[in-house]
Amino acid sequence: MKRFLIGLVGFVGMLGFVGCVSTPTDVRKTDALPPVYPDYIGVTIPDGIAPLNFNMTDADVDRVYVTVKGNKGGELHANGAYADFDIDEWHALTAQNKGGRLTLTVCARKDGKWLQYKDFDIYVSPYAMDEYGVTYRRIAPGYEVGGDIGIYQRDIQTFDEYAIMRESAVPGRCFNCHTPNRTDPRQLTLQIRGEGGGTLVQLADGQQRWLNTKTDSTKAAGSYAYWHPSGNYCAYATNSVHQSFFVGRGQRIEAYHEFSNVVVLDVRTNELILTPELMTTTDLEIFPAFSPDGKWLYYSTSKACRVPAEYEKVKCSVCRIPFDAATGTFGHEVDTLLNGPKDDCSYTLARPSYDGRWLMYTVSSRSNFPVFQPDADLWLMDLTTGESRPLKEVNSNQADSYHNWSDNSHWFVFSSKRDDGMFARLYFASIDAEGKVTKPFLLPQRNPKKYYAESFDSFNVPDFTKTKVDFDIREARRQVLRDERIQVRIKD
Amino acid sequence: MGLTKQGLLQYTDWGLSVLVGIGVFLFWYVGYPHALSYQEQYQLFLWTTDYFCERLSVAGGLSDWLGDFIAQFYYIPWLGAILLTVLFVLIQRMVGGLWGVAIDLLLLHLMGNESVLPAYVVALAGVLLCSRLFRSVKWYWELLLVPVIYWLFGPMCWLYVAMRVLQLGWRHVWLLAYLPALMALAMLTVMQQWPYPAVFFSMSYYRVPMQMPLMMAWIPLAVVGALLFERCCKSSKTRWAASACCAIAALLYVPSGYDKDKYELINMDCLIRNEQWDEVISRADRHVVPTAFWSNCVNLALSQKRLLAERQFDFYQSGDDALIMPRHRDLTSNLPSAEAFFRLGLVNSAQRYMFDIQESILNGKKSGRCTKRIVECMMVNGHYKTAAKYIALLKKSLFYRSWAEEAERCLNRDDLVDRHPLWGRLRQLRFKNDFLFSHAEKDKIFGLLFMDNHDNKMALDYFIAEMLLRGNAQGVAQYMPWAEQYGGYRYMPVGYQDAVRAIQSRGQAQGTKYGEYVKRMMMTKGGAE
Repeated sequence: MKRFLIGLVGFVGMLGFVGCVSTPTDVRKTDALPPVYPDYIGVTIPDGIAPLNFNMTDADVDRVYVTVKGNKGGELHANGAYADFDIDEWHALTAQNKGGRLTLTVCARKDGKWLQYKDFDIYVSPYAMDEYGVTYRRIAPGYEVGGDIGIYQRDIQTFDEYAIMRESAVPGRCFNCHTPNRTDPRQLTLQIRGEGGGTLVQLADGQQRWLNTKTDSTKAAGSYAYWHPSGNYCAYATNSVHQSFFVGRGQRIEAYHEFSNVVVLDVRTNELILTPELMTTTDLEIFPAFSPDGKWLYYSTSKACRVPAEYEKVKCSVCRIPFDAATGTFGHEVDTLLNGPKDDCSYTLARPSYDGRWLMYTVSSRSNFPVFQPDADLWLMDLTTGESRPLKEVNSNQADSYHNWSDNSHWFVFSSKRDDGMFARLYFASIDAEGKVTKPFLLPQRNPKKYYAESFDSFNVPDFTKTKVDFDIREARRQVLRDERIQVRIKD
Repeated sequence: MGLTKQGLLQYTDWGLSVLVGIGVFLFWYVGYPHALSYQEQYQLFLWTTDYFCERLSVAGGLSDWLGDFIAQFYYIPWLGAILLTVLFVLIQRMVGGLWGVAIDLLLLHLMGNESVLPAYVVALAGVLLCSRLFRSVKWYWELLLVPVIYWLFGPMCWLYVAMRVLQLGWRHVWLLAYLPALMALAMLTVMQQWPYPAVFFSMSYYRVPMQMPLMMAWIPLAVVGALLFERCCKSSKTRWAASACCAIAALLYVPSGYDKDKYELINMDCLIRNEQWDEVISRADRHVVPTAFWSNCVNLALSQKRLLAERQFDFYQSGDDALIMPRHRDLTSNLPSAEAFFRLGLVNSAQRYMFDIQESILNGKKSGRCTKRIVECMMVNGHYKTAAKYIALLKKSLFYRSWAEEAERCLNRDDLVDRHPLWGRLRQLRFKNDFLFSHAEKDKIFGLLFMDNHDNKMALDYFIAEMLLRGNAQGVAQYMPWAEQYGGYRYMPVGYQDAVRAIQSRGQAQGTKYGEYVKRMMMTKGGAE
């Protein structure tokens, strides 16, 4: 009996071993590129990124055999139900081929027959992505109820994801994604909306300060934050977002606000800095972003319309206003960089690269909130020449929006609904010194087809994080539930 | 062959359990099948290892998983009732005798709170079973067993340690400190994203986070109290009398857990879900629950039987929200409105309400009922990619699988959807042009919907009904000819006649039901619109 059992175990083990290492035989070749998910054909990646595992889109393919060869040397294989590369081997190969390319040979087995597709390349950028990872908010793409939302961070070198703050930690609260200062999470801000709401400002000392940024002069708490490079100020929009819903068959949601202003918080004194140019009642200002030198504040602004009735008339412009960090005061001359009403479109979410070279923004046919506009696309302005162009290399026929730059300004992350028009996913692309932008790649997952098919969350408000976010969730929960807030004052 | 005293006792013991079983089964299957339907619609048990592992990733995961495993069978009420019966009998036998009956009755009372989840009952049964299975193990095994039992069954582990202290003796009272220390350790490490009331007391037992009814704590205490009493009281007669008194008291206590109005609304929702329109109307004749939810249910049922024009004001009308309620951030209020939207052809609005209802389930679970309806909305709108995603989810369930496989065949097949008896019709009823929904102007939306498609009689009925609810006499007079021309009535419905009489007499006509409604609204709101 014992012998029989040993034999059985050995036989099963051998079968498993044979199954795992089966190499393609009697391979038929085709000139077609392999139908893979995600579409990693011709993308550019940084070295050290998590392996670009992929699946065949054809559900009947039961096995793939992938060979990856670097043009500067190195080779690795993956063999299984999908292409699942070893992390260490992948990192070594991408490091060896930095600035070069990886050529992938894909063989797929279907109905017992192997088919070898045309090789394709993945380019390894000469530019590093130095960050630890990305942060984002995961939320069901619903309507008015957030559900089981959470802010997460993802190590981009591996597949590890960690919760920073989940709804389970602060039940019933809705929160915005945290905003670090130029990808450095030691200094961050985030907002909790509604009952027990407040604005968290955490400085380098790690101490959490929960503020009430609502005052007699500001009608709502702060959101859509952006840090001043000095770390002494943080800009917020104070608005109240509403949504209306279409009765027809295409677009689901139109978001709008009835009022919106931009304010700057002096985090040293808890004082709000207001300026009449950003506190108008005839215009709605949103999405502030400081220039890398801290001397300008970019923002979007639209004329106040009778919303929701006039939702189609909402056209944003991108403006900038001088800011003096030494005195904490604004200038009074507003530059209009992009005129929405004149161009009959809406310019939003202008964000300068941290090296000051580029200004990336979103263009849609209307609205203050491009994430709900299927025609929303990313555009790029060269701040040295003022010339703009659509980023055809990365745009899709669904909403592409909410981008953020890496610290070295050679990578950007954005959310795109290109897969199905409903669920936003994170894409990364690089840009070189001449402004050449590469084909974006989807945030890698160990088994991407399964992961994204079974994920019922949208990934939004992405940003890079230089290091792992060290956030004391217990202290945050204590403060949120305690409901005590430091009242900010208006600076004289 | 005569029975020994021991044998007789055993027969009595089992007889009591059989009685408990029969009683529990009848309670759920005959008395409260709608409560089972209510629980079933707020979970979606998936037959996947990922789902199991995800549940097991937090404390109390096994009881949560088993609770949902049982709840999925509530889809077929008799099957759900049988599984609950097994659990209740198990608990009764673990506690023993009439004490067990008393505990079961307290549980029945507790489960009248619709937010108490089956996981609680599973945890109680599981912990009682563990304390029975491991009663003879050495004390040092508890160092391992307590964390394992806590992880599997959650904070009900308090009961386990209390029972072990009773079994092992007071020298082992340290177990009562060991458990909270473990809980604190869990909070500092693997359960940082959970607040302490959940980690220490409730976890997956109650649908609303950070809350739990006191009875959830009293029941384990009652178990401990019963065991202590059994141990301390020497007289078997006294023990029997005390347990009998407790069982009777608990029996009398059960009905107070079931608010009549609340369960009437739950029943209405269950009937709407199963399209038992006649039963809705019949119940409405017998029991009024003066809420917008109730009005929504009754009006929807009337419209499906083409009786809205005849009988709307025979029943309580809550006001402007009697046909469709505005958005409420909870998991139940908007269900009948979502059902009405769907049948009207306002498919996007139905999807919106169903989506938000699902996201309002405070323990973050999906809903089979809502997901199914969301898929239908997506199929009607031709959003096949997203529909496929939700269909794949439903295919992993037991009771929605066959439906999902049927739906899957229609993916990317406009011709099949067009020919589908329900989806094809809804495609015809949808708006041809796109615009934003406005709750304040829903009467106009119903009117436009009818103008888009004159076959949409429900839209016509809702259009006139909404104007009547708003007291829009001018609108009623203006559009009443539509009802005559397109309504398909052989004579002017009695309800409309009654309303017209009330309007023409400016409220002076005696005995008109519509007139009474307008007067009531004027009294409560200071005048109808």
